[in-house]
Amino acid sequence: MSDDPVWRRIAWRNLGRHRGRTLITASALAFGYLAAVLMVGLMDGMNAELIENGTGLMVGQVQVHAADYLPERNMHRTIGGYEGIDLAGFLRRLESDPDIVAAAPRLYGGGLVSSGDQTLGGVLFGVDVRREGEVTTLLSTLREGRAPRAGAFEVAMGSEMARQLDVKVGDQVVLVAAAADGSMGNDLFTLAGVFSTGTPALDASHVLVPLPDLQYLLAMDPGRVHEVALTTTRPWDTPVIAASVERSLSAFGPPLRVRPWTELRPELAESVELMGSMNWVIIVIVFAMAIFGVANTMIIGTFERRKEFAVVRALGTTPLGVGKTVVYEGIFLGVLALAAGAVVTGPVLVWWHNRPPDLSGIVGGFAWSGSMWRPILRVEYSWDTPIVAAVALFVTSVLAAVYPAWKATRVPPADALAD
Amino acid sequence: MNDTISTPPAVRTEDLWKVYPQEPEPVEAVKSLDLIVEPGDFVAMAGPSGSGKTTVLNLLGGLTRPTRGRIWIDGEEVSDMRDRDLARLRLERIGFVFQAYNLLPVLTALENAEFTLLLRGTPAEERHRRVMDLFREMGLDGLEDRRPGRLSGGQQQRVAVARAVAGDPALVLADEPTANLDTATSAALLDVMERLNRERGTTFVFSTHDPRVMERARRLIHLVDGEIESDVRRDAGAVAP
Repeated sequence: MSDDPVWRRIAWRNLGRHRGRTLITASALAFGYLAAVLMVGLMDGMNAELIENGTGLMVGQVQVHAADYLPERNMHRTIGGYEGIDLAGFLRRLESDPDIVAAAPRLYGGGLVSSGDQTLGGVLFGVDVRREGEVTTLLSTLREGRAPRAGAFEVAMGSEMARQLDVKVGDQVVLVAAAADGSMGNDLFTLAGVFSTGTPALDASHVLVPLPDLQYLLAMDPGRVHEVALTTTRPWDTPVIAASVERSLSAFGPPLRVRPWTELRPELAESVELMGSMNWVIIVIVFAMAIFGVANTMIIGTFERRKEFAVVRALGTTPLGVGKTVVYEGIFLGVLALAAGAVVTGPVLVWWHNRPPDLSGIVGGFAWSGSMWRPILRVEYSWDTPIVAAVALFVTSVLAAVYPAWKATRVPPADALAD
Repeated sequence: MNDTISTPPAVRTEDLWKVYPQEPEPVEAVKSLDLIVEPGDFVAMAGPSGSGKTTVLNLLGGLTRPTRGRIWIDGEEVSDMRDRDLARLRLERIGFVFQAYNLLPVLTALENAEFTLLLRGTPAEERHRRVMDLFREMGLDGLEDRRPGRLSGGQQQRVAVARAVAGDPALVLADEPTANLDTATSAALLDVMERLNRERGTTFVFSTHDPRVMERARRLIHLVDGEIESDVRRDAGAVAP
């Protein structure tokens, strides 16, 4: 029969011998748990912000194109080819997918934007204003004026472009672009709004044009669009959803490609992955620091009990039995710390998630990987981080006990009894 | 032809040495000790401090390794045993009583006394019965649930003796068991050990400074500088070396 129950009993009661010491050690581990979960939560929050801003501003979570549109972005490679598609029907079909929340068609053109003596090259971004608002946040960044109306030959442009052209809301600008039929399309547009995304490249280059007006300028039929951006029910699962949508569109006719944001913004995906790997570094650092503190405390405790170890050896305990009691102490300490850590971490995490400290009054935001990051210390929580941190805490407390346990097995009984 | 099977000695040593490698000179704590203790004996080892009494007990109990020589316990040679086998031998055949009681402070009196039975995996009911019988014999009933810190010195030492004999060992090694006890408590403890020796046949080997223990021992060995100076059997005179 195993003698483990004896060692478990002794280990458990030993924790109660020096309650203050046990409390401090368990608190250190519990704090380590809190710190690891919070720091990983902050990194996840930063990731979520980067993804939301990086995809939410213009890219969208998923994009549908003609199979040969990217990477050249040839203006003739519209969805459905030269004939275009029944756009309303296509959008309905996409939105009938239970994973798709909204779909927004887009058309791109390259051209010149002029006002007075000033001319700048820019990207003409044709959108369905109502639908675009359901897929991206670009229109919510309008700082002056309003969104342009379809059929009124109105545009909105980035604040930096407006500054360089020296135009304000209500002024007129001329758009000149190579049309699909080989002619040069040009027309007069009224500046209805100025947006400021915080991403300088975007603010200096993009002109937002209502879709029908840009189709008219580029001599394209109403059924011709380059892209349909989608919002999904599961932003973190976009690769799976994109593959599913692509499969469902395989019978559509001309070949289509459906890409998740991770393919469309690989640099952002890599940043997110890099920051994700930082989570492991955080957990390792936090618990590596904790392991030395716990081991130190346990070594002291082991040294104080040299005589007791010698006594139990004299009574017939094997060195392994002596080691077991120290390891069990580590295990119980880990369980106590984990319970305390979980009790404290849960409410702190929920509170922090709902009321993230906003440091924008102290520091400004910055762009990273083409995405804006606001100085809001947002914490995201997931099911896996607390579990990984719990396993790390438990492993820490057991590993911290291994060396003291080994020391305990090496206590020479006769010498320790003579102390 | 003699067809009786002879019982091996409870303890036998042959040319037993223990030398501690110290500077400037090694200390010879035990020198060429030849000793035989018969089963059921009640032996006291006396001698001044540093005479090697505790070292001999530690050697007999396998708590320290001899520098040279051989030891048999209950007929089994233990000199070269592995730690694991020595632990098993102590658990099954040897009981220890220490001068400072050395009860485990986190266990109750009952749990301390049944410690070796717990290690052996003795069923709870039998464990409890055996220890409670001992507690009644030793006047410890009612103290089962007390931790050592709430027991007097005499009570603690009686629990220690109960712990040593609960597993019915062939040999009990007691290192100055009465050194920390007053006269009356010492006498009571000796009564208990004598009775256990008489009724259970347990062999007792003590180290002691205490003249009262020496008086009650059936065999008295005097150690000086790690060597036997005298070995007197009280009921039959000197023991031949």
